Amino acid sequence: MTQTTRTATVERDFQSHESVIQVQELYKRYGKFTAVKGIDFAVRPGEIFGLIGPDGAGKTSTFQILSGVMEATSGEVQVLNRSPRDARLATGYLTQQFSLYSDLSIDENIRYSAGLRRVPTARLQQRRSKYLKLMGLEQFGDRLAGKLSGGMKQKLALCCALVSQPEILFLDEPTTGVDPVSRREFWDVLATLASQGVTIVVATPYLDEAERCNRIALMYEGEIQQTGTLAELRESLNLERLELRANRLEAVEEVLKTNAEIADVQTFGDRLDILVPSASAGETQIRTLLQQHQLTLNDIQPAEVTLENVFVTRLRQQGNDPPFIPFPRSKSTGVKQDKQVAIGVRNLNKVFGDFQAVKDVTLEVRYGEIYGLLGANGAGKTTTIKMLCGLQPPSGGEMSLAGQTRDLRNSALRKRIGYMSQKFTLYDDLTVVQNLQFYCGVYGVPRRARQEKIDWVLETCGLVGQENLLTGRLPGGWKQRVAFGASVMHEPEILFLDEPTSGVDPLARRQFWRLIEDFARQGTAVLVTTHYLEEAEHCQDLGFMVAGEVVASGSPSQIKEEQPGQLLELVTNQTQAASDLLKTQMEPWRVSIFGDRLHLVVDNPDTEIPQLRSTLDSDGFEIHSLRPIPFSLEDAFIGIVQRTQE
Amino acid sequence: MAIVPPLLPLLLLSLSSPMFTQLFNRFLGSRFWALVVKEINQILKNRQLLFLLIFPPTIQLLIFGSSLDPQVQNLKLGIVDYANTSVTRELVSALSENQIFVADNYSFSEQALANQVEQGKITAGLVIPPDFNRQLQQGQTAEVQVLIDGVNANTASIAQGYITQIVRNYSSNLEVNATPPLVNPQVTFLYNPGLASSWFFVPGVIGLVLTLTGSLVSSATVVREKDTGTLEQLLMTPAAAWEILSAKIAPLFLLLMGDVLLALGIARLIFGVPFRGSWAFFLATSALYVFVGIGVGILLATISKNQQQVVLTSFFINIPVIQLSGAIAPIESMPTFFQYLSLLDPLRHYIAISRSVLLKGVGWEALGLNVLALGAIAILLLTISIKQFRTQLN
Repeated sequence: MTQTTRTATVERDFQSHESVIQVQELYKRYGKFTAVKGIDFAVRPGEIFGLIGPDGAGKTSTFQILSGVMEATSGEVQVLNRSPRDARLATGYLTQQFSLYSDLSIDENIRYSAGLRRVPTARLQQRRSKYLKLMGLEQFGDRLAGKLSGGMKQKLALCCALVSQPEILFLDEPTTGVDPVSRREFWDVLATLASQGVTIVVATPYLDEAERCNRIALMYEGEIQQTGTLAELRESLNLERLELRANRLEAVEEVLKTNAEIADVQTFGDRLDILVPSASAGETQIRTLLQQHQLTLNDIQPAEVTLENVFVTRLRQQGNDPPFIPFPRSKSTGVKQDKQVAIGVRNLNKVFGDFQAVKDVTLEVRYGEIYGLLGANGAGKTTTIKMLCGLQPPSGGEMSLAGQTRDLRNSALRKRIGYMSQKFTLYDDLTVVQNLQFYCGVYGVPRRARQEKIDWVLETCGLVGQENLLTGRLPGGWKQRVAFGASVMHEPEILFLDEPTSGVDPLARRQFWRLIEDFARQGTAVLVTTHYLEEAEHCQDLGFMVAGEVVASGSPSQIKEEQPGQLLELVTNQTQAASDLLKTQMEPWRVSIFGDRLHLVVDNPDTEIPQLRSTLDSDGFEIHSLRPIPFSLEDAFIGIVQRTQE
Repeated sequence: MAIVPPLLPLLLLSLSSPMFTQLFNRFLGSRFWALVVKEINQILKNRQLLFLLIFPPTIQLLIFGSSLDPQVQNLKLGIVDYANTSVTRELVSALSENQIFVADNYSFSEQALANQVEQGKITAGLVIPPDFNRQLQQGQTAEVQVLIDGVNANTASIAQGYITQIVRNYSSNLEVNATPPLVNPQVTFLYNPGLASSWFFVPGVIGLVLTLTGSLVSSATVVREKDTGTLEQLLMTPAAAWEILSAKIAPLFLLLMGDVLLALGIARLIFGVPFRGSWAFFLATSALYVFVGIGVGILLATISKNQQQVVLTSFFINIPVIQLSGAIAPIESMPTFFQYLSLLDPLRHYIAISRSVLLKGVGWEALGLNVLALGAIAILLLTISIKQFRTQLN
């Protein structure tokens, strides 16, 4: 209760400032279903305000009301002291889908949106070059929008929204499915725009991105649970985080889970993330607990609580934890415990015309192992998976799948493989249960076992009683969960997952990874691609692809350790100005904004840290903190990509 | 209860025999059955498909069946009657009696008449000279002048034929004791005694409707899977290409055979077209033709990226197929080259078969060659389309 009262006070404070958006008691009903249940918030000018929540939380409905596309059922909404409809010319709205004409060029798309909003030609030219330059698109003016990568498309869409120079931007999950490098660039652009006075309201499923917002509202089931800055949210959690490394992680996790003092335990690849009320007390407690169970501990370190921790803990408090139900196996367990090679690839190549999509890829996945293939859009991940599945013939190289090297398309082999493609793996026009029955039948699951497996998928997805819903009506994240269920019902020995978690909320993503890990423990070899780099921590082995080549590989810890240089965290009084300054001093990719702080990559910390201090001091910045921090996988990824491109 | 049909227990016995149950269960658990059930479920949910199967065929049949009529009626006849006697009025009424001509357009000069032909106000003009009566009375040959608008050559020749015939009849009635002509042909129309043109056209239109519906509906179900991306997922399953395709074809085949019956029903109930031949023979040949339609549809789907492309490409195939088939214009009136080309047109053979079976009641003995040609084309098309379906997957 204290939480709500405090939020309300904060809210009132904002309204006493001039706020550009005011929402009070906003409701939206669709027939019997209430999507938005009386939310209140206010947004200050020049602020990046994040609306964070799982699928179906009511974010898109809120955006549509704010942008004047849809009427609210009840409640007060003021945008720039006007009704949202009247404020439309002063706002820009970017939807989840690319709202571009793919057969028009970049210039034509911009000219079209400018025409719609009656921008004078002279201003259009000036703004066009300004924003295209900001987005790094100026040399592609005549390229067709359909030929751009996902990240470039969203930047272009943002350009189109900006060309009428709106005071407020509404961005509904603009970076979903966009690769990490483009995402970071996109957020840098947003930070620049905010510093120029544009107010931004944004939704994103990436919680690491959301940390870059000035203030965050956590939304769940149509209600805003909490609003505040990242620091406030972290503080309100009253928990601290420990990173633990041990040889027998599974056993450690089991022991820790039974302890009531420990709020949350989560496996991230080669480490456990543990939430405890106090880091120091928790550490001693864990040490004694593990000693009692004769488990050795390699390393335990306190770390900052992440937004994901906050979000997941809040969702848990709402009782929205998707259940983990062990998969009902009908095949004898303990398949291939001997860790043979399940997927073996050597010097795999794929050439389309004169474009080399995949270049000398070599990788090995053993039974019981999770291998993560990471990379930007168009780096060749999906092409690699398709060749491994036999959907595309390779132009060169050797492949072996489940011990077979020839005829990878025979149906006996297919029965042992599970495949979940990026999208559309289910029939939208069939009901959930019809889809599951179909996949059971087509994979030859024995008829007696079918009902059990279907029930398992329904329970795991929380769809019991809704099995006759048309699949097309499910929100994206739920569809992904059903699709995953459909692809594992036949207990595959080898599982290919192409971006399985895109658009899935954090709690459901955790469930996903528990399931994937469970399958791996039972001996399934898993090859997975993902855009969420924090998720890649779940993999035992990683391959980073850039332009068709694997440029770095190893376990997550190995990759981070092998990063040259040092990551620094800088907190100053003027984040954006400091970023602008430092980007002129060092290569731009080495500087990025994370919420209220900067991340800097330096090669020689000993000489560069003093230099940085003096540069910032001489320009009048106050340095609140400048300290080395460990690389995250995302930092490592961006470093690798940038160094390869140089 | 005393009288139990002897077959029933036997039937029950065979159904409950363990071997049959086992086979049946195996079938229900098979991949093929799973694929078929999926297709049926999708079809049942697809209102658009059911609409496509019922309404367009019905409407096409009704419209083509009633509007395609080569007969000429109600031609406008202009008249300049310089004689203006009862005899000449009799001649005019003879011309307009059978509704071929409407003669209510009198002019006063040849020039005015010629102008009206030129402006298209009348199709034909008749000029009766002032001495018409006198010449007849004197036993001389009276002459009338006929002007015909030759722009529409077909109508012109028909109008000419009618006028010549009617005038000849009229003049033979005038000769009281004329010698009968040496040869007087007695024409009997076989199979279609009333010469109802719809009898001729409706069987053709049944073929036309099957071509359009069959190719569109089957291409739609195949291309949709490609459109939404589920095809890739399907290919990753152990299902073989032939299983996927035959599971798609089987329900479509049944639905299109339903369309054949629908078309026959309309032919019978609305147009009164008789059914004189063998049902088995007609259904078997229709089944062959349905396979042709499905083959064309799958081929279209494999070369197109989406539904829209399918529809546009289908124009290039369906329209020539229909034009060459004789469904609308008789094959005999085509140039020789196209007459030979039409031998490759499956619709031509199917129309030949359906016309003959419906109207003449003949069967295999007369239509063997058509059936063979149709079968060959069906097999060829299905082979190509299945092969094409497979290669596009690779």
